[in-house]
Amino acid sequence: MVKWAGFLFNADDCIHCKACEIACKNENQTPTGIQWRRVEKVAPELYLSISCNHCDSPECFRVCPERAFTKRKDGIVQIDEDLCTGCGLCVTACPYHAPQFNPETHKVSKCQMCYPRQDAGLPPACVEACTTGALSIVDLNQFSDPEATRTLPGFPDIRITCPSIVFYPPKPRKRYFL
Amino acid sequence: MKDGIYRNTCPRNCYGSCSILSYVKNDRLVKVTGDPKHGFTKGRLCAKGYASTQFVYNPQRLKYPMRQIPRGSGNWQRISWDEAYTIIAGKIIELNQRYGSNLACGYNKFSGNLGLLHYAVEGMFNSLGPHTKPIGNPCALTGKHAVNQSFGDHYSADPEEMARANLIVIWGSNPAVTNVHQMKFIYEARRKGAKLVVIDPIFTRTAEKADLYLQINPGTDGWLAGAIAKLIIEKGIIDEEAMVKQTIGWEEYQQFLHQQINLAHVAEQTGVPIKAMVELAELYGKVKPAATWAGLGIQRSDRGGRSISAINSLAVMTGMLSDPGSGLYYMHFEIEHFPQRLACHDGPVHPTIPHSREVDMSHFSKNALALTDPPLKLLWVASRNIVTQDQNLHSWQQLFQQLELIVTVDLYLTKTAKQADIVLPAATHFEEEDLHVGYWHYWLSINQKVLPPYYEAKSDLQIARELTRRLNELSPGFSNFPYEKEPIDWIKTELSPEIMRQYGINGYEDLLDGPHKKVAQTHSLKKYNLFPAIETNLLQGDQQQPFTYRLLSPQSLLKIHSQYECVSWLTYGETDNIIELSTMAANEHEINENTKIEIYNEQGAITGVAKINPTLPRNVVLASQAGSNPINQLIFQKEDHDANGSSTFFYDSIVKIRKGRDTHG
Repeated sequence: MVKWAGFLFNADDCIHCKACEIACKNENQTPTGIQWRRVEKVAPELYLSISCNHCDSPECFRVCPERAFTKRKDGIVQIDEDLCTGCGLCVTACPYHAPQFNPETHKVSKCQMCYPRQDAGLPPACVEACTTGALSIVDLNQFSDPEATRTLPGFPDIRITCPSIVFYPPKPRKRYFL
Repeated sequence: MKDGIYRNTCPRNCYGSCSILSYVKNDRLVKVTGDPKHGFTKGRLCAKGYASTQFVYNPQRLKYPMRQIPRGSGNWQRISWDEAYTIIAGKIIELNQRYGSNLACGYNKFSGNLGLLHYAVEGMFNSLGPHTKPIGNPCALTGKHAVNQSFGDHYSADPEEMARANLIVIWGSNPAVTNVHQMKFIYEARRKGAKLVVIDPIFTRTAEKADLYLQINPGTDGWLAGAIAKLIIEKGIIDEEAMVKQTIGWEEYQQFLHQQINLAHVAEQTGVPIKAMVELAELYGKVKPAATWAGLGIQRSDRGGRSISAINSLAVMTGMLSDPGSGLYYMHFEIEHFPQRLACHDGPVHPTIPHSREVDMSHFSKNALALTDPPLKLLWVASRNIVTQDQNLHSWQQLFQQLELIVTVDLYLTKTAKQADIVLPAATHFEEEDLHVGYWHYWLSINQKVLPPYYEAKSDLQIARELTRRLNELSPGFSNFPYEKEPIDWIKTELSPEIMRQYGINGYEDLLDGPHKKVAQTHSLKKYNLFPAIETNLLQGDQQQPFTYRLLSPQSLLKIHSQYECVSWLTYGETDNIIELSTMAANEHEINENTKIEIYNEQGAITGVAKINPTLPRNVVLASQAGSNPINQLIFQKEDHDANGSSTFFYDSIVKIRKGRDTHG
């Protein structure tokens, strides 16, 4: 069976340390403000580490007039910056704010799931950097776990694009507040 | 350096002391990764570490030595290293002639870079003979004393062993923010069924992850530890025979708990309901092995030593004696086992002055001001940002006025550097050699020089070598610093036969292949002291007045103290000067989210943006360190009662709140 590369994000294990976000910048040397990956607090005690989700039905791919986006057999969505004219249609179309417009170059760039690393058998930089193992990659054609969910509260509607990401939600905890 | 991958070590004052693999191409750092051979970090860094390329190639870094005339004017002129050395050496010699010794010269250095070769600053001053030197440790000394009293030695268990615990109780520490690599060991334990308990006044990111979280009034941890101990004894879930055999003061301790600890009273003081105490006592009494972590946060208060002591006693009762997996965690001081040849360098003997003058770091400015005959006239600042981090700033301003020459060595033009006459550009860890031993994990690692200096930056060691050589040119025999020794010579000196045996290496070359973990623990704990007499004192209650708030200023995720403030990858999207207050405090002062507020006390006032944190205790406000309006302006250290010195009691600062005055800007 063909591989379907996707992210697995364990919200229960994520500590919001942002190592994934900065490791992405370290690997790809993206300028300040170009956030291929970012960690966000979406609700009290709920953090999401989000990049391009390499959707099964990518809106960026659909709306781009220059056909700058391609989807590899393993599902990774790439952008060819040489074809990008900076029209910004993908930026507004993507529910996850994955395409990042650079006002200096007038080009859009985004997470390419570190495909050169993956092709060399290495995990994406963000996954390698995750000290708790909260972020990992899985083959969604193989992955199955009844405890995993397709979405989490605070994550944009998945019905439009069918993002290649699955989640483990936070578990309930016991607290005594003052 | 040839293109390739080299080994560095993050030198920050942090639990991680992470080994870094540096990718160098055309003499430039192109990226970094963690070192998979490091058993604690297991190939990961933190966000700050991953921002290393921006840290090194930062347009705000100091490029050249500069002189500011007059001081504080902002009128900086580039000078050569040669001119800088001539001015500084000339002043040192002139002061020596004026006062007949070098006591008028002193330094203030702390934790900006923890590498062993950064003791070059101490070595440089030692090489002048008697001078004025800081002693103590504002970060951890109070807890260190308490641990030494309990165990007769420094003690902190191997953090990788935490993965074997079935119960992990964290008192006043927030590893999810300050010690991120520890979290995977905690999770590993939890995946095998362990429970994580967090006790903290703040509902931290670690607390969010806890199976059981107990919010506690700040400074009252000792009470809670006493109550848990009492409950465990009453329930009989304790190895009494081991206590009798291996502890000192068991009878008195039991008596103290029996007579002095009243659960209802403890509940009132700590804010922890009896039901929660019973729950924790059940876990502590029955689940083994139990790891106990006495966090640094607890001892940032004048009741902190007693609280750490009470937590130590609880750890002894709950398995430390019988089960090696039941460790106590604080931090360790393995570095003290190293020769530390630079720090211990013997200077020339003065005919009449036997020793240097020592000034306690936690009261440096006040004590330095009190010095006469001679007064302090020259201050060297390295690895330190006094103006954003130290307390008692009013006396610092007085001290600055008294000083005739202030030299600051730093990577950036910090708020402290701006108060200097001369700033000298410091090298990053990628531009110098060094050797590092952690204070949390037990790994030893080398730091290679992998980059040419950024413009004219130099290491503390190189500066010490060049300045002392200049001193001797101007006044032969003035310093006995061995300036001919290269960094690698100092590294070899630190790797004494005993150290090499402990870490299982045959020479520094072994460290080029990866970090090495200490093979054998040197401490052999035999007897444990339980301290009822000390703990009796913790029964004093908190006398906080209404409408006053305890100011807590813990480390934030993307900085260490004021370091990394200039790294835009890290600061992007972050807001400076946030002051968090409870919903109740906001209501009391009719303060809304995101409005301008002031917190103030007799030291001064800080303006910030209000963030209402519904999980914060009513009597606590929370602010991060450094930034454009540093919180240390409100911190004042009271007189110290401990003759051996103490940590700085940052968390004893009390503030009031008012709405921000509507001024422009």
